[in-house]
Amino acid sequence: MSHTAQPQQTQTTPATSQPTAQPAVIASRRRCDADGVGLSHYILMDRKPAR
Amino acid sequence: MTLQPLDIGHADYVAITDPATAFWALVRKDRLAETLAGGPLLDAYRERAADFARELHGLRFELKPSAVYVNPTERCNLDCTYCYIPRDMRRDGEHMAADRLLAALERLKAYFATTLPAGRKPRVIFHGAEPLTNREALFAAIDACRDDYTFGVQTNATLLDDAALAFLTGRGVSIGLSLDGPTADVTDATRLSFGGKSVHDKVLSAMDRLRGYDAWSVIATCTAKNLDQLVPLVELFHAREAPTCMLNAVRCTLPGARTVKPADAALAHAFIAAVERSHALFRASGRKLVVANFANILLAILAPTARRLMCDISPCGGGRAFFALAPDGGLFPCSEFIGLPQFEGGNLFRDSMEDVLASPAFAKVTGRDVDKFAPCSTCAIRHFCGSPCPAEAHEMNGGMEKIGAFCGFYEEQVRYALRLIADGKAGDFLWDGWDAGVETSFSVNLP
Repeated sequence: MSHTAQPQQTQTTPATSQPTAQPAVIASRRRCDADGVGLSHYILMDRKPAR
Repeated sequence: MTLQPLDIGHADYVAITDPATAFWALVRKDRLAETLAGGPLLDAYRERAADFARELHGLRFELKPSAVYVNPTERCNLDCTYCYIPRDMRRDGEHMAADRLLAALERLKAYFATTLPAGRKPRVIFHGAEPLTNREALFAAIDACRDDYTFGVQTNATLLDDAALAFLTGRGVSIGLSLDGPTADVTDATRLSFGGKSVHDKVLSAMDRLRGYDAWSVIATCTAKNLDQLVPLVELFHAREAPTCMLNAVRCTLPGARTVKPADAALAHAFIAAVERSHALFRASGRKLVVANFANILLAILAPTARRLMCDISPCGGGRAFFALAPDGGLFPCSEFIGLPQFEGGNLFRDSMEDVLASPAFAKVTGRDVDKFAPCSTCAIRHFCGSPCPAEAHEMNGGMEKIGAFCGFYEEQVRYALRLIADGKAGDFLWDGWDAGVETSFSVNLP
């Protein structure tokens, strides 16, 4: 997947990391070129889990 | 922009979404009124809303096919309760001849050359029925076209002997297996041979022999027969070092499947317990078992274009991101429709792909849009879920403008996913490196 757009960020703390104090608002969005082709009967294993 | 609140069942956070753009935010409950009145979050979103709408529109309406699900045979040696291929077809159907399969792949290669950028291989997934019942043709096609396609095969594993496994793994073919229970009696409740024999141990044998191979996965179909066994089933998958699994709600397209349809709430409870167990196993062992269909719901929220599965989006991927080829050359939007003749859009050997993709049969599926029918059109999470599946909606619920079979289950998955995001745990449930090539387009984190 390749980059397609310039990011715009208000602040840069990823929503998926847990800060010490609870933020009042968490919002994020990420993007890439879309190439998903899986369906519920099959998942292409091109994303590997951590070992 | 129209923001909708969504109770996610979290102690501290509530979600707000703009369903039209798949925008979301988590807001501390004591700050909700203040946040909705205006301020940095809404200001930042207002600046990006049009970009998000364009991005979602592109994902929903502007993709070109890059994969084909090829059924090289109508036959299967199993008689699973919930199969979407009609029983007579599986028992007495036809194989695709080897030369016919090669001719099909040549025609498809020419088509994909018009849709994909140079250097990007299309994907062929051999699917079923049981593709390994037509093994000689299958393997000849893989060898003849190995430079042209990325291959995968979904198999019930009963015919996956050592030679077949060596052939497929030696060529880097992705392999998907199916197993519904941690013990034979549970698997046997839905997956038996036509002669009534258990296949459980054969699948376990295949899993043992695949250990260490990166490109394999296992699908469990969640039914009323195995809900209370999903936690031990995940434990079995993890112990056997499956890199990825799917815990799929049974597709209720054909009547047989509806006999084992679980209730939404019971399914959600059992499914989330199993996903939580996969997480506990990861924390204890350091090794992930990704539950891919749930990971895909997380991705639908965190990075809509990074989805790997194209069921949980509207229109679904059928007939636009991929399509399915039947053994007689018939083309369908998705394998799920192969037992439904009215959804055949044409024939690969007679018709142009462009005409097939534009056919009324395909348009019926690619035109199913959750923005245009109730109750989805006012749902806060409609573009995280997509109301799958159109085959179910049509056959079980009476039309394309009906919900799928498991509306409540999807709602609970989205709530759970948002709770994980609120708690900073989402990354634990995703593939390692899922975000390679993925960039941040919006990030607001207010103290």
